[in-house]
Amino acid sequence: MTALISAKDLAISFGGVIAAEGVSLDVFEDDHLAIIGPNGAGKTTFLNICTGYLKPSAGSVTFQGRSILGSSPRAITRMGIARAFQIPQLFTEQTVLENMLIAAASQARRFAPFTPLMQIPERKEAEHILELVGCDDVSDRPASELPEGKRKLVDIALALALKPKVLLMDEPTSGVASSEKFDIMDTLIGALREQQVTSVFVEHDMEMVSRYANRVAVWNAGHIQSQGTPEDVLQDPEVVRTVIGV
Amino acid sequence: MSLQILVLTVLDGIAYGSLVFLVAVGLTLVFGVMRILNVAHGSFYALGAYAAASLGLVLSAYGISAWFAYPLFIVAAVAVGVSVGGLMERFILRRIYVREEYLQLLVTFAIFMILDNVQRLVWGVQPYFYTEPLSLMGNVTIVGIPYTAYQVIFLPLVALFILFGLRWFLRKTLAGSLIVAVTEDREAATAIGINARKVFFLTFIIGTTLASLGGALASPTTSVLPGMGAEMIVLSFAVAATAGLGQIGGAAIAALLIGLGRSSAVFFMPELEVVVPYLIMVIVLLFRPEGLFGKTTARKI
Repeated sequence: MTALISAKDLAISFGGVIAAEGVSLDVFEDDHLAIIGPNGAGKTTFLNICTGYLKPSAGSVTFQGRSILGSSPRAITRMGIARAFQIPQLFTEQTVLENMLIAAASQARRFAPFTPLMQIPERKEAEHILELVGCDDVSDRPASELPEGKRKLVDIALALALKPKVLLMDEPTSGVASSEKFDIMDTLIGALREQQVTSVFVEHDMEMVSRYANRVAVWNAGHIQSQGTPEDVLQDPEVVRTVIGV
Repeated sequence: MSLQILVLTVLDGIAYGSLVFLVAVGLTLVFGVMRILNVAHGSFYALGAYAAASLGLVLSAYGISAWFAYPLFIVAAVAVGVSVGGLMERFILRRIYVREEYLQLLVTFAIFMILDNVQRLVWGVQPYFYTEPLSLMGNVTIVGIPYTAYQVIFLPLVALFILFGLRWFLRKTLAGSLIVAVTEDREAATAIGINARKVFFLTFIIGTTLASLGGALASPTTSVLPGMGAEMIVLSFAVAATAGLGQIGGAAIAALLIGLGRSSAVFFMPELEVVVPYLIMVIVLLFRPEGLFGKTTARKI
């Protein structure tokens, strides 16, 4: 199996806190990899390194065999690693569809000053993605007026408009009512499958992990404590004790 | 107080406010998007005026109709704004975006001083007059007061066109949406792959072009002479600050307010003419530090 993202011997610390030390982690094609672990263990740091927002003090990260360390977040996005944030980052003054078109246009490197935004050729595809995530009903509404669940999905749709190969997500359903969680995640994973996008998501909810991940990595105190299928990892007594905390 | 003086005050205020708006809107756009207060903005006003007056004088030297001056003014404004503004952004500002704001302020102030001396070098210190476009449009009589159509109809129409054109551009076009996106959240915009450098470049040359357009259009109404840029940058800063930095629609209203304030002073308290715009700014900022239309967010300057 070929690794899409391959991190080797990563090390990074903030002040005295070690977020990663000798961490090696591979993300394979068609993975839906969940990263779990206690707060402050370095999970989000890993996402930040893979997207170019942080540089590790040691180690390497390659994407499809090419090193991405030292590349700007924008260059990495262009290579095919997109990111959805814990707090959805939408342009609040514009409508949902306009948000999508802005993302699609920058992906296509379109910059014609006087082209009406609503008439760019990427519109069809943008609308298709909105349909996939079930947000075509809110496409004309300003992003600031969306309920939290829809915001999350639109944020994912924005990331998908960038045509990524891998999507990194930080707690995709945090802040969403628990009754909505599974619906949102079903839609999201369905959209990822349709677009053949590999995903990595940081998650605290073990039910979500066992339901949607095909692989799990346990990040604890700057190390990968364990990794494997959800069935194996979530049964591991050591993981249960340190992470799940039962 | 006679009705005629009142009408004259209003007309003067509209004429003057229209010009100030053209310059201030460029300043406020650049600040809103790039968070840089460009002191050299006034130089573009002066350069636009000099370029327009020079081209106009060439026209009359060759006996060409002054009707050609109007399109030529636009050409002059775009040429100055895009070339000088483009060079300034590409080779100077781009290096200081990540630096402290006082440094940015000093650098743009230095550019202002340099450009001011360049003007003296190229055009000398004697004033230039090219008033044909002003007389060409004739006069209109409003409530018994004759006034030049250029100042009281043409300039306000241009100002309105720029106001609504800019709003349309920012809201409806692709490039405009990218500008708004970068303004709202630069990091998120970069994360989805928007080229913030390109957006900054475009924004800056739009801003400088607007300033030089203001200068070009002002040239028939005034003598073009050294120092006009300094006066205008202070005034357009007053407008931008009164409106709230980054507020485009607000700048139009603030420009009108300050234009009317200044013309009232001219007629009723001439000795206060120079201070009235700043007095308005101070009073507004005392009660609303974020400006009349500004949002309450942390501001750099």
